[in-house]
Amino acid sequence: MARLEDYIELNAKRFPTTLALVDATESVTYGELWARITLRARELKAEKALVIRASQSVEFLIDYFAAHLSGSVIVPLEHDIPDKAFDDIALRVAHADIPAEVADVLFTTGTTGERKGSMISHRAILANAENLIDAQGFSHGLRFIVCGPLNHIGSLSKIWPTLMVGATVQILDGLKDMGAFFRAVEQSPIPVATFMVPASIAMMLRFGREELERLASRFDFLETGAAPMPQADMEELCKVLSHSRLYNTYASTETGIISTHDFNHGPCVAGCLGRPMKHAWLSIDDDGIITCGGEQRMTGYLDGPLIGDSVTTSDRGCIDQEGRLHLAGRKDDFINVGGFKVNPVEVEDAARSHPSIADCICVGVPHPVLGTSLRLLYVPTEGSVTGPALHRDLSRHLSLRLERHKIPILFSAVPSIARTYNGKLNRRHYQQNNSDKI
Amino acid sequence: MKQHIRTLLEDLLPLVDFDSDFLFSQLDSLGVTTILMVLSQEYGIQLGAKDATPRNLKSLDSIVALVESKLADKK
Repeated sequence: MARLEDYIELNAKRFPTTLALVDATESVTYGELWARITLRARELKAEKALVIRASQSVEFLIDYFAAHLSGSVIVPLEHDIPDKAFDDIALRVAHADIPAEVADVLFTTGTTGERKGSMISHRAILANAENLIDAQGFSHGLRFIVCGPLNHIGSLSKIWPTLMVGATVQILDGLKDMGAFFRAVEQSPIPVATFMVPASIAMMLRFGREELERLASRFDFLETGAAPMPQADMEELCKVLSHSRLYNTYASTETGIISTHDFNHGPCVAGCLGRPMKHAWLSIDDDGIITCGGEQRMTGYLDGPLIGDSVTTSDRGCIDQEGRLHLAGRKDDFINVGGFKVNPVEVEDAARSHPSIADCICVGVPHPVLGTSLRLLYVPTEGSVTGPALHRDLSRHLSLRLERHKIPILFSAVPSIARTYNGKLNRRHYQQNNSDKI
Repeated sequence: MKQHIRTLLEDLLPLVDFDSDFLFSQLDSLGVTTILMVLSQEYGIQLGAKDATPRNLKSLDSIVALVESKLADKK
């Protein structure tokens, strides 16, 4: 078996009438899925890459697998990506030299503010799937509810093991309609599992606790990751889903899925992310920086050199006596907003292109549900009128250039922006003095 | 009340058109959470997942009706 599509073909023979994919409008069995993938693969031109906006639909996943089957690389982008950013990426992909083993190019926020495309091979997809099946117990009699965006490793990496074992994926369009999520759990004829970022879990505990408790017996397991989860929320979740496996996972687009920890049946400790999975390994240097390796890692960045055996992250951590990873923070300035890593430089560059902004800095502020949200402190240009009207105009200006999760919630006019002696933005000043809360 | 709710929410959700009858379609989970949090704090009412339906969040008028109904339940 060289590709995930080989497993889908096999499952179409083994479980032809088992549901493979479910979305808001249709349900597709393994037999139907394989027929539609092969038909779509014949329709697709034999192009180097298919750059596409990822919708929360069966149709998108059929395109995804069909692209692989036809020999193309697929580049799924956010559904709300502005047209110019989409065109820029399509151009970069068209001119890039992409190795033959690459299946996906997943774009993430880069350290310079420019997006970086992580190239994921067919082998890495299989290794990631096997990591999760082995560590979390994905099984044929499971329905995995995917709520997150399908261009993101957090969601795609759940599609892979679920279809490998012949289980069912149910796709929801986010969690804004919490009722739709609870209906999906309640109506599933088999046990369910899901992935939620800590912000979504906080939202569920605050506004949907009664429903979660009522449906608790239906959850086989729940996985979280992509952002730190507060200790209090972990303990609350253990009370509400007292019989389910509750995993906190360490992963990134670049490293793949590395480690996981069941905090309902093991120590319930914030930041504990468990032991490396089947195909993964990790090490920590003298400065606490985490390096990860294994077959699940990316091949390299688009337009960049191929990586060697390992990926050095920007995360700091340590390993306890039981061999479990504990995360201690990051060494860069990225701000984690509901599981999405935002480079403040990208937000600041977009804001400075507004005629009323002379200078600005984007900072993280505590948010009761998201954990952290964005605030833009700005110095207005001379003669500009500050206030709600400017903030609305600035939001619209940013929405034409950035995805929604990168648009600050709060805007504040300030007389000046603190800078270091050599003129760089003094981010540490704002991190140390930031006591504002939403 | 309608104008007060509009002012509260417009400041926190500047990209949402509160004159629209398709308000729910403009929201993401953060937007829904923000509305539930702000209204429950401002009016001392309990709002939960069952209240965050597409029908209740369809327009500013339907949000006002939701708050009025919760306030009536409190009495």
